[in-house]
Amino acid sequence: MRYRLSDRQVGILFMLPFLVTAAAFIVWPVAEAIRLAFYQYNPLRPDDLFWVGLDNFERILDDPLFWESFHQALVWTGWSILFQTVLGVGLAMLLHTALPGIAVFRGLLLFPYIVPTVVIALNWRWIFNSEIGIVNHALLRLGLISENIAWLATPDMAMASAILLNVWKYTPFVIICVLARLQTIPTELYDAAKVDGAGAMRRFLDITLPMLKEVLVVVIVFRTIWTFNKFEEIYLLTRGGPGTSTFNLAVYAFEEGMANLRLGVAAATGVIMIVLLLVGTIVYVRVSGFGREEKPV
Amino acid sequence: MTAKEVAGRIALYALLAAVTFLVCFPLIWAFFTSMKPKDEIFLWPPTLWPETWTLANYRALLEGKDAYFQAGAASGTAVPPSAFFLDWFINSVIVTIGTTIISTVVSTLAAYSLTRFRFPGQRSVPYLALIGYMVPSIIFVFPMFLVMVELRLTDTLLSLILGYVCITLPFCMWLMWAFFRGVPIEIEEAALVDGASRLRVFWEIVLPTAWPGIVAAAIFTLIVSWNDYLFGRVFMNSMENLPLTVGVMHFFDGTHVDWGLMMASSVLMTVPMALLFMALQRHLVAGFGAGAVKG
Repeated sequence: MRYRLSDRQVGILFMLPFLVTAAAFIVWPVAEAIRLAFYQYNPLRPDDLFWVGLDNFERILDDPLFWESFHQALVWTGWSILFQTVLGVGLAMLLHTALPGIAVFRGLLLFPYIVPTVVIALNWRWIFNSEIGIVNHALLRLGLISENIAWLATPDMAMASAILLNVWKYTPFVIICVLARLQTIPTELYDAAKVDGAGAMRRFLDITLPMLKEVLVVVIVFRTIWTFNKFEEIYLLTRGGPGTSTFNLAVYAFEEGMANLRLGVAAATGVIMIVLLLVGTIVYVRVSGFGREEKPV
Repeated sequence: MTAKEVAGRIALYALLAAVTFLVCFPLIWAFFTSMKPKDEIFLWPPTLWPETWTLANYRALLEGKDAYFQAGAASGTAVPPSAFFLDWFINSVIVTIGTTIISTVVSTLAAYSLTRFRFPGQRSVPYLALIGYMVPSIIFVFPMFLVMVELRLTDTLLSLILGYVCITLPFCMWLMWAFFRGVPIEIEEAALVDGASRLRVFWEIVLPTAWPGIVAAAIFTLIVSWNDYLFGRVFMNSMENLPLTVGVMHFFDGTHVDWGLMMASSVLMTVPMALLFMALQRHLVAGFGAGAVKG
């Protein structure tokens, strides 16, 4: 007779790869990150590992660049989320209309989401090139500007370009979530409102918006957390520049770790980001009622 | 249809077309640029439609010739970065496929186990996974690097695969867990009563029904590992070991930027994702719906 595994053995056997991987490559690094935050460590001199207590945190909180990065991260996050939400809801409603061929538009408008950030950053640097970029050319032709704009070389414009990149890439995310919700709103509600003489605006404010409230709160919290911590979208486009004008906390941590080789300071910045993240997650749990009732996603 | 309705429809189509054009423009423009000869790329005012169509940029890329590259500068190598393009492409393919296989297999097994057997602490695992999924890569990357140093894996493709497994596994776990919870267990139980072994039930009954969930998890992993830049940048040193995303940024190392080469590589980098997107668009939306993909 063939040997048969008991259910218990199968259960353990199936769990084992996950437990080993998670322990080695998730739990260990996170523990290492927290430990490192209290050390001074230069990867080029691996033997110099000093316990410095809270020095890294003090150093960060005394660093004007940290606060500048924090402030810029708020600007970057605020504008990105605002535009993504407004455009996302608008486009989702547009894509929700029952037109022949709408599926083609849906597909094309969702596409930016899967384009590699490196590709978008390269394309952005090209179309926003100040001398031979097509954007400056178009604006000149339309008479909207009289001389070329240095999009990526002036602080405000660099930030605006980075926000535009983020909006371009992640509005599809909002569209998908809103579209999924829109499809579940019964059309009878709109018909009844029409009979009652409610105009398009009234119907939007009284029916659509309340119905979307729940999904919008979740989407906004999620996107806020992720946007705040984004690294590649900024770094690949501007490298945090010109100067330090587009630094956010992720770029700050990266520069501390990679350029200044202060892994302890980078790790401490990471710990601060985790704390901010936990606050965000608690907000999310509160507003979404997540965990109170269990429902499969 | 009344005239008013027709007009409304035309207006809607016009609006949709305008938005779609604006959204697709950066990619269209990259494609046009990549098909222009060098002198036309630098024309001012630019030609909208390429006057001369050429594959010269693609040929230069695949043959490793960069017209503007001069040794020295920031690159520290005498060879133009484009010489490594094919290596980078292959590296990215290997890393992406490796990560996808490991992440989906490991998460599928674990999620099945979690939903069908009893463990201490079983209920907290998926929620911990969800928290792990919220942690941004910038927090993982340096400690992960130290772990890789410890394991003597830096500058290897394996280190990248393990890094991407670490950032994709939590979400895959969450997705598969949510999926298996929705699959009724009656059929499995019936098969077990009939004397089929647990492994056989898993292989013949559970896996086929779990397919949509596995596809969604795989798509998520493919996108993350093909698109990542940060881990490749921190973990890898040698030019020939870089993934595509980190490699092409080296095109800025030369004294002049070769935009034709750059746009050709950005087109080639997008094509695999575009094909995947077209083939699996329905699943992608389903996967999004299932729990919102990380971005």
